[in-house]
Amino acid sequence: MKPFDSFYDSMLRRTFLKRSAGGIGMMALASLLGRDLGAAETVSGGGLPGLPHYLPKAKRVIFMHMAGAPSHIDLFEHKPQLDKLRGTDLPASVRNGQRITGFTSGQKTLPIAPAHWPFKMCGPSAMPISDLLPELQKIAGDLAFVRSMHTDAINHDPGMSFLQSGSQLPGRPALGSWLSYGLGSVNLDLPAFVVLVSRGAGRPQESPVYDRFWASGFLPGEHQGTRFRAGNEPVPFLASPNGVAATDRRDQLDDLVALNRRHEAALRDSEIAARISQYELAFRMQTSVPELLDLSKEPKEVFDLYGPAAQKPGSFAWNCLMARRLAERGVRTIQLSHVGWDHHENVVDQLPRQCAEADRPTAALITDLKRRGLLDDTLVVWGGEFGRTIFTQGGNNGRDHHPRCFTIWMAGGGIKPGTVVGETDDFAYNVVRDPCSVHDLHATILDRMGINHEKLTYLFQGRQFRLTDVSGVPIGGVMA
Amino acid sequence: MSKWNPTINIALAMLLGTSVQARTWTSTDGPKTFEAELKAYDPATGEFTVTLPDGTAMKFNQEKLSAADITFLKEQGKQPGASAAVPHAPDFATQIRPILSTYCFACHGPDEAKRKADLRLDTRAGAIARNEDGEAAVVPGNVASSTMLARLTTSDKDERMPPKAKPGPNAAEQALLRQWIADGAPYTEHWAFVAPRRPANPAVKDTAWAHSDLDRHVLASLEARGLKPQAEAAREALIRRVSLDLTGIPPTLVEIDAFVADRAADAYERVVDRLLASPRYGERLATPWLDAARYADSHGFQQDDERSMWRWRDWVIEAYNADMPFDRFTLLQTAGDLLPDASPETILATGFHRNHRISAEGGIDAEEFRLESVFDRAETTATVWLGLTMNCARCHDHKYDPILQKDFYRFAAYFDSIDESGIRSSARSVAPVVRLPRSANAERTTALAAAVTAAENELATLKSATPPTAAAMLAAAQSSLTAAKKARDAYAREVTEVMVLKDRAKPRETYVLERGQYGHRGERVEAGTPGFLPPLPADAPANRLALARWLVDPANPLTARVQVNRMWEMLFGTGLVVTLENFGGQAEPPSNAALLDWLAVEFREQGWSTKRLLRTIVTSATYRQSAAAPAELIARDPANRLLARGPRFCMTPEMIRDQTLAASGLLVERLGGPAIRPYEPASSWDGGEGSGNLNNYTPATDDGLWRRGVYVIWKRTQPPPSMTTFDAPSREFCSVRRLRTNTPLQALAMFNDVTTSVAARMLAVRIMGEAATPEERLILAMRHVVARRPDANELRILTAGLKRRLARYATDPTAAKTVLAVGNPPPPPTFPPAELAAYAQTCALILNLDEALTRE
Repeated sequence: MKPFDSFYDSMLRRTFLKRSAGGIGMMALASLLGRDLGAAETVSGGGLPGLPHYLPKAKRVIFMHMAGAPSHIDLFEHKPQLDKLRGTDLPASVRNGQRITGFTSGQKTLPIAPAHWPFKMCGPSAMPISDLLPELQKIAGDLAFVRSMHTDAINHDPGMSFLQSGSQLPGRPALGSWLSYGLGSVNLDLPAFVVLVSRGAGRPQESPVYDRFWASGFLPGEHQGTRFRAGNEPVPFLASPNGVAATDRRDQLDDLVALNRRHEAALRDSEIAARISQYELAFRMQTSVPELLDLSKEPKEVFDLYGPAAQKPGSFAWNCLMARRLAERGVRTIQLSHVGWDHHENVVDQLPRQCAEADRPTAALITDLKRRGLLDDTLVVWGGEFGRTIFTQGGNNGRDHHPRCFTIWMAGGGIKPGTVVGETDDFAYNVVRDPCSVHDLHATILDRMGINHEKLTYLFQGRQFRLTDVSGVPIGGVMA
Repeated sequence: MSKWNPTINIALAMLLGTSVQARTWTSTDGPKTFEAELKAYDPATGEFTVTLPDGTAMKFNQEKLSAADITFLKEQGKQPGASAAVPHAPDFATQIRPILSTYCFACHGPDEAKRKADLRLDTRAGAIARNEDGEAAVVPGNVASSTMLARLTTSDKDERMPPKAKPGPNAAEQALLRQWIADGAPYTEHWAFVAPRRPANPAVKDTAWAHSDLDRHVLASLEARGLKPQAEAAREALIRRVSLDLTGIPPTLVEIDAFVADRAADAYERVVDRLLASPRYGERLATPWLDAARYADSHGFQQDDERSMWRWRDWVIEAYNADMPFDRFTLLQTAGDLLPDASPETILATGFHRNHRISAEGGIDAEEFRLESVFDRAETTATVWLGLTMNCARCHDHKYDPILQKDFYRFAAYFDSIDESGIRSSARSVAPVVRLPRSANAERTTALAAAVTAAENELATLKSATPPTAAAMLAAAQSSLTAAKKARDAYAREVTEVMVLKDRAKPRETYVLERGQYGHRGERVEAGTPGFLPPLPADAPANRLALARWLVDPANPLTARVQVNRMWEMLFGTGLVVTLENFGGQAEPPSNAALLDWLAVEFREQGWSTKRLLRTIVTSATYRQSAAAPAELIARDPANRLLARGPRFCMTPEMIRDQTLAASGLLVERLGGPAIRPYEPASSWDGGEGSGNLNNYTPATDDGLWRRGVYVIWKRTQPPPSMTTFDAPSREFCSVRRLRTNTPLQALAMFNDVTTSVAARMLAVRIMGEAATPEERLILAMRHVVARRPDANELRILTAGLKRRLARYATDPTAAKTVLAVGNPPPPPTFPPAELAAYAQTCALILNLDEALTRE
């Protein structure tokens, strides 16, 4: 054993201090050192000691957020007895004084409008799925539905924020940030939390989703979601300036590293070592991200599966295919946000368009993951931030926001396939069995990832915060 | 952040039993292991001593260990065999209360609704009260009869506290509690809730080092730990540090040379005074305040339209430049509309409280969102002035601090009667507004006037010309004069609307919201301040003016401390209280309580002058220390909480931008005006199409490309990537502390931002003009960026790299031209492209040095 100084110096060369441990920083280190160490199991992507709390059923999450809130009424709630009440006013006893939004609070009547399309009973539990989703009908046996979801929010911004971060107010870390913080990453060349956004044809002018929904809140910034975009600039600042080739950058980087090391020797600040590693990781990302986004090596049958739109960068189908590629590369949280479900008017026209586009790639992703063996340890979650009303908004078949019940589904690692949890009343308005809150959903996701949701906490403003705030129970019915 | 949890501060060394077997230790990242026996562990500093197999004793800090080893050490601390050396009479405020707060207050604290077993431990009366069985949690002077200790230490699962196997106090903490009870269980108020008093000057052994009382407080704490401060930083380092800290801009070569050559005793103080008098000072100081005020150039939410609050931002900059006393600064921003001498300028200041987001989402309940703004103001005021997490009391009584739920709504009531709506229907400002001339843009007024004069002169010249000018030309000149006049007059008439505060004639009634939920009204409350803080004057009206006066009253224990702590953090990277946003019971006690109080009292007694406060700090010997220090010291105090060396930490993105522009000579120094659009990734605002009027990000074509970071346009939902990549907040809500991270996205941003390319090219042009040889030029490049000369080895690396790049671009002129074509302005045509490209790429790497991104 050497005296302290040499020990410290060797540590400096070999390690990071706490601040970058846990996120991309640690990945960079592990990546740099992995080859030196030779032992694959010592390559760690950060994360907290003691996590996972127990053997995880899933190693990664694909969170398919259907932004704008799809109509559970039309897609999943088969209530044939309501047909004879079509057009009649919703009984006051059903609404029971519940808040409705400014869109419909001024309406004189709340005329009942059951689903506009037929259903098929699918899978072992005969889950009703609309004919608008024929591909999803075929894979229903792989999915677990929760028909009894409810939320606290009735507007998009707070609703999405709640779904992503467990709080209606901004400032809390997103689910993917918590997972990055708690579990770290296994990919050394990509961020632990990647977000892909697409816009559906159902309602082209719909409000977008924003960066804050995948922000790291009070957690360190390396845990924030990184949005990959289609096109020339998938990550901000990824491409070197015109005329700077990879060899030029490597040449600059070599000098930069040499100079930084000299400064590090003088200052003994381990942040400099961290900085060097981050520059190296950035250099590798300049290769790994374009490689990820390059679909030229995907065979034709893949595009047959996902549909021709998968060739179009930035489309939902392309994002679904990208989600599979990210899952293959071990990215911890892959979030797809697909906009276009907010059908305040003309559901009859807009919903079929939105579904026609989303149905095939969604089913293709499940099928593709399954045949590659990835579905076993990938947890897929599909759903909006709330549901839509059974009653019509305005004069043209609109549906307003509805927080009291909505449907989501899950599949993959640790999920019992072909199950249905929960039930709503005759009007698909209130939950009558097994209510599940957004906190419950988050608790379920964390549980499947091997995390006790009450124990993944972060001290901020003097309080231990967690994704599930002060409640949440994993939804036992969907768990394998 | 969680690195310094309250218990770590307890000054207490643990002496471990002798039977600890040899163990394999692993370093943080795993590769390094060694065998050794644990001999001693001090949870206060994280230091531990081990004996190697050959008998050598070694001392390390736990920072160097794997997480598993740290857990092991902490477990050792809890062993019953571990004996603890407990100081006599532990201090309740800094040693006992944090333990009770961490483990007990959630159920036995201020929150009455959640209180279990009718027991409260946050007051002495509660702790010593006897229950029906005649037992008391704490029996002063009688450890054996105190049920609290029994419950904390029992092995009976059903009896043990905290329940459900939650973590409880370790052996060291239990020992402290025991000693405290034996001493009679004295309670004192939470340190931050007692008004600061000027502390006695501590005695120090080294009487030569200290410049001021500030230094004596630091030195006393160092000497108590057997440490010595570092020598003063080199002059180049010092002038760079203080220039960046006070103006956000690095020193010029002339300024560096003058300071290095100035042997007068007050050379440094004169530099400081020059910097404090610079208009750039206000721009630098404004940035943290804009974060706190959640200032942005857009309304936020999904329909994120542009808004116009820049006149308020300029007001802040000018207030700092004029060194407006902080009490006045507070008064104007909180209640500038209610002052007896209210004027448009004082009303403008209240824009502080209109910087919050305003939604335009269809279908929202305007009243719900209005209330959200009201609560936002209350929470922001509590965070910025009081360092209180008052938002925690929105749904229930505060768990750790004596803030009742009712207090939250009483505090919010001050902001509830603004004559406003919670929703907007257009991109425009939402009433109440004040209309102001665009006087902040005097340059534009001057330029327009000059254009008129030029057109007049032109016309006069043409009219008097011989031979006579053609009629068509005369007509053209006449019409351009008319156009110039029209532009000038139109601009003079232009006004800016700024959102401000104005109360309704009839105040609103404010109600507690049960569980914080909208629509669930509880009891009605009147405006007021939290009961545990000094009361308002008996005759104080229930309005914001009274609130503002209360905030800056000398009796207020928090405002001055919270403010000086933020200034300290700005200069040292970490506050004396780490949590700038929380001074409550769960906050770690200050690393140097006497120093914090000294600064707070000094600040107030020096007329709340921010410039004087900063001058006091930056002229201290503490601030002027070198950032380099022996390995032992860095290992012992990695976060520099003890201040035995100079501060070194990553610069803000605003500072990085300004430095890059200043070094290259591109920086345009002009104060104020509407937001600018610098180079940002083209995709910055993508995905927002059809929602809001800020779409398709396009960089400016004017000097907005080269102005300071503080003016960069801030779209809340898609804040500037160049800023957020370096940890700037989104400005959606109040933020008083930026975390500092170190990510690959920062490396990408630094290397690949167009601004860096252009700045590197212009820095190359600059040094090629200033000197003739490669060595001289590269020395200059280093000096422009990091203020110092490279040493011989560094210069060798730089010149060798330059040589390689010269060779590369000589053989590939196309690559040289392509590199030089990035961004505006284009390089002067007289420079040979291959040579310029080689220098530019070398300058780019200098701009990327860790030292360049760090103020040290």
